[in-house]
Amino acid sequence: MASTITLEETNPDTADFPETFIPGEKKILGLEMQVETPENVLLSYQLAGPSQRYVAYLIDFLIRTIMLIAIFMFFIAPMMGLLMPGAMLGLFFVIMFLNTWGYYTISETFFKGKSIGKHVCGLRVIREGGYPITFWPSLLRNLARSADSIILYGVGITSMLMTQRFQRLGDLVAGTVVIQERSLTLPRKPIILNKIKPLDKNDIGSFLPRDEVLSLIDEFIGRRHVLTYERGHALAAQMAQRLAKRLHYSGDEKKVSQYPMAFLASVYKTFSFGQIEEEQELLDEYKRRSDSQGDIYEET
Amino acid sequence: MKKHKFIHQRRPQWKKFEQFLRQVSSRSLSKLPADKISTFSQLLREISHDLATIRSRGWGHELTSYLNDLVARGHNLFYSAPPTNFARFYRYLAADFPRLFRANIGYFLIASLLFFLPMGVSWCVVQNKPELASRVIPEEYLSQFDNMYGEEGGLNSDTENTTEGNTDSEESEDSETDSFGDQRATMAGFYINHNVGIALKCFALGVLLGLGTVYTLLFNGIFLGAVSGYIISQGNGDRFLSFVISHGSFELTAIAVAGGAGLMLGNAIIHPGQRTRFQSLQVRGLEAVQIAGGAAAMLVVAAMIEAFWSPADIPNIVKYSVGSGLWLIVFLYLTFAGLQSDRRLPSQHSLSNSPQQGDQHR
Repeated sequence: MASTITLEETNPDTADFPETFIPGEKKILGLEMQVETPENVLLSYQLAGPSQRYVAYLIDFLIRTIMLIAIFMFFIAPMMGLLMPGAMLGLFFVIMFLNTWGYYTISETFFKGKSIGKHVCGLRVIREGGYPITFWPSLLRNLARSADSIILYGVGITSMLMTQRFQRLGDLVAGTVVIQERSLTLPRKPIILNKIKPLDKNDIGSFLPRDEVLSLIDEFIGRRHVLTYERGHALAAQMAQRLAKRLHYSGDEKKVSQYPMAFLASVYKTFSFGQIEEEQELLDEYKRRSDSQGDIYEET
Repeated sequence: MKKHKFIHQRRPQWKKFEQFLRQVSSRSLSKLPADKISTFSQLLREISHDLATIRSRGWGHELTSYLNDLVARGHNLFYSAPPTNFARFYRYLAADFPRLFRANIGYFLIASLLFFLPMGVSWCVVQNKPELASRVIPEEYLSQFDNMYGEEGGLNSDTENTTEGNTDSEESEDSETDSFGDQRATMAGFYINHNVGIALKCFALGVLLGLGTVYTLLFNGIFLGAVSGYIISQGNGDRFLSFVISHGSFELTAIAVAGGAGLMLGNAIIHPGQRTRFQSLQVRGLEAVQIAGGAAAMLVVAAMIEAFWSPADIPNIVKYSVGSGLWLIVFLYLTFAGLQSDRRLPSQHSLSNSPQQGDQHR
């Protein structure tokens, strides 16, 4: 999303950066699935692709096999020697049946859409509306597995590649999707900008960059390790030059061209933290006032 | 408001919600005290609002996805379905399954036709010309059937599993004196694993435009008919019929029921009506799987009868009368069970997840 913006596409007269997030826009290809909640908020889920699901399947398969062997060796076989060998064998058949037809349904129903393999791979089955899966849809999608598994899951994989949400036949019938669960981590708030000095007020004009721009710089600096040094520099240089122009930056020209990343960081620091002291005062005042009225946030 | 101030201000709420999520996911939401639930719901809405704010201001992908995941998890918990319990299971078997079955009886009739008609035809043909049996049934099965249903071959115990017919007499004596029902418990498990598996597969293959179901029904119909015809033509008719009549009631009907459910799936794709094909598949699929589940339950009953009652050493006349009684029970169950609760309010259809189901019962 925001990180894929290229500066070339912008029209300098109208906007700093283009709007890329348009809610409800139909995506042609992508791993995002969007759902509107009853709170009227668009949620986006990260869909799981065939390869991830295949790994989860392999793990589940391994667990199922080991489970069957273990039950037979440590429970059925010793008991067969002691009493009722026939009944024990019958029980084993029933366990085998449950293992074949019930493993996924039972685990998905009781562990909120996760089998063990899915849990390991960080996947979860949900219904298309974003709701958790219940017994009948789960049973349906897992019974249909026998249709999907024809020719080594050839039918299922074909179906996954032909649908936008990577659904196999079972998912299509039951109205479910498999999503990736991401870990909850609040982005680290301020990047360590101690070494960076804000721009001198005398060097810049009155232009104020928009919030989106500052957020973009924030994320860019936070994720700079993802890129190689040269590539990062090349990208930062474009943005730095553009920004310097808008700001009518009259300071050290060398700083913009040779250390674009540092320049961006100082722009960021100038506009994000410049007013922080003033804001803090306002906030304190607001708090003092709301404390007397009993703030709901304090109660909860 | 600046991004960092916003984060700074809202972060305590987010952390609190995270903690809630961790707490609740180990237990059920309904087990929390009431005030906690209301806090949870308030937090969920607040954070939904935060997410919308952040999106509209374009405050960065990372922050958005963090809040998005928070809301998504909360959403998942908050709108989770009530847990299933035994009362529901009983209600399903006593009312919901037969009712759904009757609402979609057309598919069952077609499946019956696809199953029983070829069965009758191949039965008649093979009974009149037993030499044709080998066209359908492999030779080694034929000799096995001769052993099983022949004069000296005991139907007791595990003959169907093991091909060694010679040791049968000894084993059957053992099983009767030593531990009655022990060998048969093996067969019960085997039948459950084998027969229910076939029925469920028959249903599931309906996703392939119903072709898989039609094939399974035709194949099993022809095969079973040929087997019956062959065994009767060999002069073992009385032993065979007294064996199959009891569990046949549940077993054969259940196969047709499962087949009908499979045809529902196929037809939902072929004739979606006013829905899109996928929508139609989802709505009808949810009904179909509930019918198939009922068929599976019937097959479990059939497996018990087949294992413990059918091979028992009981005069044939008793078996015939009990068998007919079972056919009557199946008929009555599918025709009348849950009929009274049809008059209840549609809102009490606890299991029907889609409004369309409720419509059909009225």
